[in-house]
Amino acid sequence: MLLRCRIPLAHFDLDVDVAFDARVASIFGPSGSGKTTLLDAIAGLRDITAGEIEIDGSTLFSSARGIDRPPRERGIGYVPQEGALFPHLSVRKNILFGAGRSADISRLKGISVEHVLSVLEIGSLLDRAVKKLSGGEVQRVALARAILSQPRLLLLDEPLASLDIGLKEKILPYLARVRDEFRIPMIYVTHNLTEVLTLADWVLMIRQGRLVTQGVPKEALRSMHAIMQLPEDQFENVFAVTFVESDPEAGRTKVRLQAGQELFIPYLPRPGSDTIQIRISADDILVAIKRPEGISAGNVLPGTVRRIDAIDGQAIVTVAAGDEFYARLTASAVKRLGLVEKAPVFLIMKTRSFRSL
Amino acid sequence: MIFSLETWHITLFSLAVGLTSTLVILPFGIALAWIFARKEWPFKSVIETLVLLPLVMPPVSTGLILLKIFGRRNPVGQWLYERGVEIVFNWKGVLMAMAVMSFPLLVRSVRTSFTEVNPRFEQIAATLGASPLRIFFVITIPLAYKGIIAGALLAFSRALGEFGATILLAGNIPGKTQTLSLAIYSFVQLGKDSDAYTLLGITVALAFLFVWCSEWLLRSAKKA
Amino acid sequence: MRRNFIAAILVAAFLTGFVEVARADEILVAAAASLTDVLNEIGAVYRSKSKNSVNFTFGPSSTLARQIEEGAPADLFFSADLLKMDNLDKTGRLEPGTRRNLLSNQLVIIAPVDSKLFISSPKDLLKADIKRIALAEPTSVPVGVYSSKYLTDEGLWDEVKPKVVPVQDVRATLASVESGNVEAGFVYKTDAATSKKVKVVYEVPIDKGPKITYPVAIVKESKKKAVAQDFMNFTLSPVGKGAFKKYGFVVID
Repeated sequence: MLLRCRIPLAHFDLDVDVAFDARVASIFGPSGSGKTTLLDAIAGLRDITAGEIEIDGSTLFSSARGIDRPPRERGIGYVPQEGALFPHLSVRKNILFGAGRSADISRLKGISVEHVLSVLEIGSLLDRAVKKLSGGEVQRVALARAILSQPRLLLLDEPLASLDIGLKEKILPYLARVRDEFRIPMIYVTHNLTEVLTLADWVLMIRQGRLVTQGVPKEALRSMHAIMQLPEDQFENVFAVTFVESDPEAGRTKVRLQAGQELFIPYLPRPGSDTIQIRISADDILVAIKRPEGISAGNVLPGTVRRIDAIDGQAIVTVAAGDEFYARLTASAVKRLGLVEKAPVFLIMKTRSFRSL
Repeated sequence: MIFSLETWHITLFSLAVGLTSTLVILPFGIALAWIFARKEWPFKSVIETLVLLPLVMPPVSTGLILLKIFGRRNPVGQWLYERGVEIVFNWKGVLMAMAVMSFPLLVRSVRTSFTEVNPRFEQIAATLGASPLRIFFVITIPLAYKGIIAGALLAFSRALGEFGATILLAGNIPGKTQTLSLAIYSFVQLGKDSDAYTLLGITVALAFLFVWCSEWLLRSAKKA
Repeated sequence: MRRNFIAAILVAAFLTGFVEVARADEILVAAAASLTDVLNEIGAVYRSKSKNSVNFTFGPSSTLARQIEEGAPADLFFSADLLKMDNLDKTGRLEPGTRRNLLSNQLVIIAPVDSKLFISSPKDLLKADIKRIALAEPTSVPVGVYSSKYLTDEGLWDEVKPKVVPVQDVRATLASVESGNVEAGFVYKTDAATSKKVKVVYEVPIDKGPKITYPVAIVKESKKKAVAQDFMNFTLSPVGKGAFKKYGFVVID
């Protein structure tokens, strides 16, 4: 995708010039940085002063060549922040709105209706009135509606922003499923780092209308964090692991990191596919300079300090322990333990601190 | 006089022409209201003001302007007359006067109900591949229909109460162009107060009914 | 089924609103509002005696003249004063040779029916107990024009003028006198007769008063001049004249 545009906004101009190619590209930034405007521009819902938008080699907009395809010709599925389901139509009519004239459930072009209904688990909601849907159901229906218009690109505007934490956890897997099952490229706007780390292959960080940095999420994370203060609950480590075995009585499941180390996470039944994603907050990782004994934590991993980034009394300690782990400590802890680059350490993580997708 | 055939005829005539005039202006009013609600262009405010004028000018001046346009001696009136169409001094004049005087009210009301429809719905419908016509009829109108009906009711009530432009354009011809308003005026002029009161009672009752329904619809639209 | 039936009834009822029995020999007569009752009566008799029919539009003479000026399809015009007719004459809207002075009227001074007012001559209007006098718009409405002319001729206008309350028309004059808001008013004798809440306190002698004239003429653009002439003749016939006299008008011809 090629995206170059300039749009005047209230307090600043949105000025972006990027080219990227990814399954899921995330646009990350604080509120008011112009993210929604950018999505609107890509979808053709907003006038652009000057610029170019190109997807898959097809030009949607070019001020130089005088091209401006109207929204209905761009083949873009848009899932706005509030879902924007048509309130006077049933769920069924909503999701089939962009799917052509067939009103019955049948196979359409590439993606079948049944497939979408089952992936998003909304089959039972079809005849419900939009008013009676819960927040999570609204988002899933809005997703289905966008997918069923057979788009070449999906735009998602902070789809989980209006949901509470518990609901976010529930809906996040659906988004991952959409990414994996339907193979439609997605641009995902969010100000939540977990969502970026979990879903995106590429992240673009926008601030005050300008691109600050871009890259693979895990690496870009370091520079991102150095640039902005992240709220307490956002700093998470995300890993793709392989399922090994589960022990319901012991209350835990064994998984293996890509590099081979094994970890224990809270019990879950054998998943459909063997690869799952797990997360642990950077604040839940303890660093020790001696191997501890007699503690409850189920995971103790030896590793080496790669780097230490200190800001404002906080320190992010990057430890290589097979995979790379970020642990957030206080500056005083770093000093007290005498942590330096290349120092050997042990990472201590409770089994129950891990969350899985 | 009370509830005589004459009363019946005057009331029915007023209702019939009023209803027709409202139906006639409805498509134009809805189209114009939508354009006002969604589009911008240079000097838009000039057009908006022009449309609003009959609402604030004395009805007699509007009637005079209409008479000037449609009288036999004037270009448009002449053109129509040569084709056998005459507007002055018959029911078509009543219809024209009612239509022109109630049009601004219709546009105003419908415009408000369109602006109250979240444009996001229309935008998303566009991204889903809907043509502008489909968006208008499947999304915009169903979401705004209560306000549209309320506006139509209001316009209808205004049409029923129309007097100044009507008497100038259509004359006060009992049995041919005499509406409730014109008849009340005549009776008052002749000192036939009791007859005037009868018609007044009918007019008030009708106006009350329609305006009340209009407000009720607007309230229920807001709740949704 | 029932729904269709009801719909059909509603549509039929709706359409009856539009029914006009169109008759080929039907003319439209524009007439001053003060002639409403008398012309309605004459018209009813005419319809029963003739194969023609007549419709009326009543209103202020100025409005009617204006409408005819713009080409409104009236066939015959009864005006309440000469000025309006003269104007139409000048602009060539009248059929030459058809203009006649038909009626006259008598100017009277009225007061509320329970008033103790006694007027023996117009000079009595200067008395202190008459604070306000209602007059239909002295610059445009015929009766107002005639009244102010009369007072001017009597040399009283300048002194009476401060007491004058100009109102919209005859009906408004009657209403203001009826309500007691004014002590006296000027109307035609025929108008005074329509209200039970006023009484005549002075009749302006016909030889002293202004020459009130109701002219009538056929409109030049009329397509039914023969019928118009026929009706005009009928108003001038003994039947017509009798009706006018009955209502208090003075017949000139």
